[in-house]
Amino acid sequence: MSTTLPLFRRAFLDTWRSTLAWAAGLAAATFLYLPLYPSIGGSAQMQDMIDALPAEMTKALNYDQIATGPGYAQATLYGLLGFLLMTIASVGWGAAAVGGDEESGQLELTLAHGVTRVQVVLERALSLMLRVVLLAALVFVLVRLLDDSAQLGIRPENLFGATVLFAGLALLSGTAALCAGAVSGRRTHGLAVGAAVGVLGYVFNAVGRQSEDVEWLLNLSPYHWAYGNSPVANGADWAAATGLWGISIALVALAAIAVDRRDVGA
Amino acid sequence: MPHAISARSLTKKFGSREVLHGVDFAVEAGSVFGVIGPNGAGKTTTMRCLLDIIRPTSGEVRVLGEDPRAGGPELRRRIGYLPGELFLEGRVTGRKLLAHYQAISGPVAPGRVEALAERLGLDLDRHTRKLSKGNKQKLGLVQAFMHDPELLVLDEPTSGLDPLVQQEFHAMVRESQHKGQTIFLSSHVLSEVQQTADTVAILRDGRIMAVESVSGLREGAVRHLRLSARGITAHDAGALLGAVPGVGRVEVLESNSTVTLTATLEGDIQPLVRALGRLQLKDLVLEEPDLEESVLKMYSSPKEGE
Repeated sequence: MSTTLPLFRRAFLDTWRSTLAWAAGLAAATFLYLPLYPSIGGSAQMQDMIDALPAEMTKALNYDQIATGPGYAQATLYGLLGFLLMTIASVGWGAAAVGGDEESGQLELTLAHGVTRVQVVLERALSLMLRVVLLAALVFVLVRLLDDSAQLGIRPENLFGATVLFAGLALLSGTAALCAGAVSGRRTHGLAVGAAVGVLGYVFNAVGRQSEDVEWLLNLSPYHWAYGNSPVANGADWAAATGLWGISIALVALAAIAVDRRDVGA
Repeated sequence: MPHAISARSLTKKFGSREVLHGVDFAVEAGSVFGVIGPNGAGKTTTMRCLLDIIRPTSGEVRVLGEDPRAGGPELRRRIGYLPGELFLEGRVTGRKLLAHYQAISGPVAPGRVEALAERLGLDLDRHTRKLSKGNKQKLGLVQAFMHDPELLVLDEPTSGLDPLVQQEFHAMVRESQHKGQTIFLSSHVLSEVQQTADTVAILRDGRIMAVESVSGLREGAVRHLRLSARGITAHDAGALLGAVPGVGRVEVLESNSTVTLTATLEGDIQPLVRALGRLQLKDLVLEEPDLEESVLKMYSSPKEGE
């Protein structure tokens, strides 16, 4: 029986519950934050409150931009809760894709069949990619739906660019997790590396924005590459988008090479 | 006859720990070959080398005439593999899981999966992670047999199976052999292998200690004899049996004018039968030869010439 991309299909279809749960979480985050914009971000009272906060804090949280609709969506949804949820989902899937499967002993049986190791890694990476893109696309659709009622005024082309970066940023953590899991054969190593990429990216951005002395940290922050120019407000930096997706692809290739060269389950 | 599997000077090191020290063996096509040995002897490592799950440090392996690594997916489609430890954790039914493995193995005849499942008494509609160990093992067996591969590599295939299902498995192995398939299986006890295997290799500490045909082992094997008889004294009974060639470890008990005697027999039965004809037997048990015992003897005695 011939089926195209059998491993991709299994990796994608067998995790539908998890995909659905993360989709629900992201939808909840979107519906929670965005409708509040008229009463929070846009209100003068709130602006006074934010002005009263320490400047370091508003910078760290990206709250310096929440006075506009696109800036509000950027800071709250894309920059904070959405980023967090997407990163966790992506890292979890990435770490499970190869390292987790090997650790649980199931990869051995898959590899004993008529598949190549490179194929296993690539098809599972493709499934990770598709799930991340689907979640980002869902958020795109929901933001478009809420744009009017929440008086956000986000330009669709900017939102599209931001979505590409939103997905690319989460995918980078996910592919880092996949790669570390594939190299080590351990799920926890994948989780650790994936989480480190996400968290350090966020921290380097938050710290790097504090003063010129530590500005160099921004260069090390994928989060800053993606969101440094507030893409929801100003449109995507396509070089950054290419970079994020390109590194992800390179990490997947590295994972494929690593798994192809070593003993499995030893 | 061509070899379905051959290994020459197969060694495998994990870091500095060498687990296979130059393993040599050959499995004839169409035969049932059993590898036995204690846990940690290297059975699983050897099997994983055949499927290119791990790669030998040195030595040469040929599976169905090809190098496992070079043979790649095409070669593995011609093999059915049951891993020693089977983990099936997905939230999918057995049927769906098998459909997946079907998609990545050789072609499966329609109805084959259902037939195998029914034979082994496996419910295909239950979620795999809710299955008991035995039922998971059945699922693993279906997965290995379903595409009627030229070669079956089965690591401890009967572990977790109840005796009836074990019998069914033995029947499946014999049928496969009739169809011309080659079966390479392992166990830590000989009794599981001796029913089906033509040849057994004894693997210990990463070395093949002996390769013997099962019939050869049977000839050299020890049988246990137990009898009770009347009208004879313990002394005479002991002397009579003790004089039979191959009989050893004679122990006799006498009570209520009945003599109870136990002994072991190595080799030919005929002389024993002649001697027994002179007794007034009340009861007689001559057990199946215990191959386990003859193998243990092999384990403990150093090889000739060493």
